[in-house]
Amino acid sequence: MPTKDANAEPSFRTMIQVDMEIVSFLSNWAHCDYISSYLARTISHNRPDSVLFSNLFSSALNELLEVTFRTRHSGGALECRLSRLGETDRIELTFACSREEHTFLEDAIARVQGADRQARYLSSLSGDVAPSRDMMLLELTVNYNATLRLEEVDADTVTIVVDLPLGGLAN
Amino acid sequence: MTAHPAPSSISGRFKAHFDLNNQEFSLAGSVRPQTIDELAPSLGLLKESIESVRGVLYINVRRLAQMNNTAFHAFSRVIIDACRVRPDLRFVVITSSVVGWTTRKFGRLSKIEPGITVEEYDSEFYPGQSFLEEGGFIPILRTQTKMTWRHERSILPRHGMRPGIVMADICCGIGDFAVLVQKEFEPSRIVALDHSKSSLAYARNVASEFDITGIEYTYGDASEMLLDDDQFDLVTCRHSLQIFNRPAQILKELFRICKPGGRVYITNEKNSHCLGEPRGESIRWTYNEVAKLFEHFDMDVELGPKSRRYLADAGFDDIRVEQFMVTNLDGDPKDFADMIAAWEDVYAGDMAVKRGDSSEFIKQFRQGFKDHISAALHPKGYAGWPIWAASGQKPL
Repeated sequence: MPTKDANAEPSFRTMIQVDMEIVSFLSNWAHCDYISSYLARTISHNRPDSVLFSNLFSSALNELLEVTFRTRHSGGALECRLSRLGETDRIELTFACSREEHTFLEDAIARVQGADRQARYLSSLSGDVAPSRDMMLLELTVNYNATLRLEEVDADTVTIVVDLPLGGLAN
Repeated sequence: MTAHPAPSSISGRFKAHFDLNNQEFSLAGSVRPQTIDELAPSLGLLKESIESVRGVLYINVRRLAQMNNTAFHAFSRVIIDACRVRPDLRFVVITSSVVGWTTRKFGRLSKIEPGITVEEYDSEFYPGQSFLEEGGFIPILRTQTKMTWRHERSILPRHGMRPGIVMADICCGIGDFAVLVQKEFEPSRIVALDHSKSSLAYARNVASEFDITGIEYTYGDASEMLLDDDQFDLVTCRHSLQIFNRPAQILKELFRICKPGGRVYITNEKNSHCLGEPRGESIRWTYNEVAKLFEHFDMDVELGPKSRRYLADAGFDDIRVEQFMVTNLDGDPKDFADMIAAWEDVYAGDMAVKRGDSSEFIKQFRQGFKDHISAALHPKGYAGWPIWAASGQKPL
């Protein structure tokens, strides 16, 4: 008789997935906007305030896609999967990248979980330089209460997993 | 009024504008640039705006649907720098709770520079309508919809209603019309929008209690909606243009979200044409006064027969107008009487008092409502409430 693993993560239900060649994705900056707007609208219909949800989700997903766009890739495909569990929506972005980029993302995601994230975010806003990819990831935790982690799919492929607790919001 | 219009745009989806008279710099649309170079004209305009104002600069982002971090950082940088160079200047960022990210994100700036404050604009969208949105009025809104539905269920198909369409009900109130439409016509999607949070909460509760799915109750200002262009086969807006002070602006928005070839359907009253017998004179006098009372609060409850003109001016084709009379003979006369009693409470109560009417006037004003109720309940009486239903097609 199978035993139930008490520590197993509850299962998220996949709603939609978009796959495209990374070369195609990188051919146009506007793809970040198109994909985030389309997917946000598509999964918003059964949220308490669909327009509010879609607007927020699109903002968050767009930033993640922009981070992905600015990452140095080594060919292959971009997979963008959205799944849901209760009021949390999960974004999984899977793509191939160099070892250096892998390490960078790992470090950046570890840093955004830190207790000093609010202060670091404010400091980055008042700094002179343009926003870095670190700051974009940091903003997701500060303004959207997102939780982030990085998974290694294989030696040169990673998945950024972002959980967004936006489902219960309504005006 | 716009002293210094200087629009700039990125792919036509984003606009920056400065109004010197109001010392207001506004950003609207969606701005997601790859580099800040794309923002140069707008950033230049913001810097010029800062140089040309004294005391306070309002930064209006109420209609800024999207802004990526690249753009947010660039605009914030200019404002933060200005705070440091111009300590005499305050910045007030005007956000809207309809655009969920703006208040929190712009609010961070005040932690960096105390000269920056954030105000959420829409806590009082339409104060004049608060008379009609208090909790006590909800049962009567339900009764009104029940009475008009008897007519509208046969009228709506002539104005574009059919199964499978994508529709929006703007100014949906407590959402009962959307529920009736869903049951009767089975559209594939209904977006129901209102600016009253208490009405939406009521609508969502009803939907949850009765296990109604497929209606998206959403919060927003009908005159500045976040909904995309050209989305809906049918847009309905019932009994609402008449209680907005800017009906043409609302219609412009209804036109915008309607698909080319789709229709916008509106219903409105002409209150002075409410009628009843016996005691017709008293009833007529009171409803003429109702029209004047609403006019005092910038609402036109005589709008019904003007629907054709409004639709034509907004650019619609194939305009159809019809009129129906809700009467005491439709269903239970007690429903009609209850509705008039609720009107009396609000119109001769809160509204007339707020206008400063004398007790003699209010007494006579109330009498007409009482006579209308008597007409409705009289075994040989007749009482009516006329409504104009109209629609226009958005050109292909």
